[in-house]
Amino acid sequence: MDNSVHQVYEDEIQLLEEEIKLLAEKCEDIHQESTFFSDEEIQMAKKLFQRELQGEYKGHGSPSDLKSQLESLEGDLSFLMKLTGIQFTRHSKKTLEKCKHFYACCTEILSGNCQSLPFQLEFQLLEMQNKENASAAVTDLSIIMESGQHSELSKFVSSTEEHRNLLLFFRSLSSYAEWYEHRRCTFLHFK
Amino acid sequence: EEEKSSEKRKAPWGRALATASPDRGGLTSAFPPARGSRGKMEEGKTYPQDGVLAYLETLEAQAHELALKQQEEEQQEKKLNRLKARVQELRARRDELRAKVELQEKKLVDKGVVTDPAQPSPQTVLEWKIKSIKAMLQIFHLTGISGKPTKQGVCFCISTAYEGTYLASYYLDILTKPEVRIQRHSVPVFIPLEQIAKKYLQTDLRRFLSVLWEHLNAYAGRRYQAEQLEERFSEHIEGTLQKNSLCNLLVFSYNVSRNGQSFPFTVRLLYGDLCGSLPTEATISCTPGAPASLAETAAAHSDAFRRLALHRAFRSLVDAKQSQ
Repeated sequence: MDNSVHQVYEDEIQLLEEEIKLLAEKCEDIHQESTFFSDEEIQMAKKLFQRELQGEYKGHGSPSDLKSQLESLEGDLSFLMKLTGIQFTRHSKKTLEKCKHFYACCTEILSGNCQSLPFQLEFQLLEMQNKENASAAVTDLSIIMESGQHSELSKFVSSTEEHRNLLLFFRSLSSYAEWYEHRRCTFLHFK
Repeated sequence: EEEKSSEKRKAPWGRALATASPDRGGLTSAFPPARGSRGKMEEGKTYPQDGVLAYLETLEAQAHELALKQQEEEQQEKKLNRLKARVQELRARRDELRAKVELQEKKLVDKGVVTDPAQPSPQTVLEWKIKSIKAMLQIFHLTGISGKPTKQGVCFCISTAYEGTYLASYYLDILTKPEVRIQRHSVPVFIPLEQIAKKYLQTDLRRFLSVLWEHLNAYAGRRYQAEQLEERFSEHIEGTLQKNSLCNLLVFSYNVSRNGQSFPFTVRLLYGDLCGSLPTEATISCTPGAPASLAETAAAHSDAFRRLALHRAFRSLVDAKQSQ
């Protein structure tokens, strides 16, 4: 009899803990996704951080970790941009729904350029995770590319948009951009 | 005698002893310790010790049990109070967070941005930037080719997808010194990795990754289509779908009805282009003696298989069959 009373409380505790975790994440997400700091603000923060580090810093965790972590990540990003030729100039993400690490649905707006070709995308991504594996699917995709010099791309763009094939878009854009760049260089060479 | 013992039963442990032996102290001094020795010590005499001893032992046991029970009850109550307190604490925390989220969402609607009235600390700014970059690195994962520099080279991740659905990812650990070479990888053995590496790895890393991606993505796409066919149309397929590991050779059978009779079609799909996800050849065979009109149907089916994704082609066949 006593145990069943305990069980009721223990069940409620578990539910509350899960709810708290989700709420805290939501708070974090909203804060992250609606805040923006410019590059200058980031640089300033780095300097101030360095100063604090050299001064009397009494905080939780090692302060130097943050700055070196940031620099390491910036290095990774710059490496990737150099390797793939894809640069993202703007990225904003909005979490629509999140549920117990089972799934998360978000909308992302992305603009950037691939070599010299600018692009702008908006897509909805659904990520699911179960015990064995994680999966992701694009549930909506819209692509904006400057029509003009690259009209041959428009048919391809609408086809990938229709099939929500974000991956193919990037790979093909990358190939096309490289071919285009190569062609441009070749023409320049002959001028 | 009986009256006395019933009295003793009501009285607590200590008093029972006192009634039995006012001069001496504990049980051991008042009564002989063991029943066996008693017999030797006092021969011939009959003591009511058996009864009293047993009774006292019962009382002792009862008291012990009572003490245990009380202890357990106290513990249960303590635990219950702890649980209650924890629930209160969590409820308060949960309500606090709910209010915070509500406030944030309201601010978002009003202003479109959630700004801290106070100047954010450098720590907050850096933490924001770190999260922001991590999110961008995740996007690279969605573009198909991503990687991370390691001490000795680079670790690449190649992602595959069929239309909007992301499929498996494959990893390559590449060393850059003294020369570019693959240390380890998770690429399946039937993908011609060595050939591709031999051709491009040393001279054009980007090209190497791009070509490898084409092979892996096409394979993943073919496999996905075959799996979709098996999953969605299992009741239409006769027997099982046969495929090789590279998923570029598929064989399966299904029935086509004509004039009230059922004829099996056996399809053999060959994907000649390893970087392609549509078959280059779709051969359909039927049992000898099948009506000639079926040849036309077979040709139409073969055409569908070469033009459309496998599961879509099959869907169109099933729909056509049902509409007949």
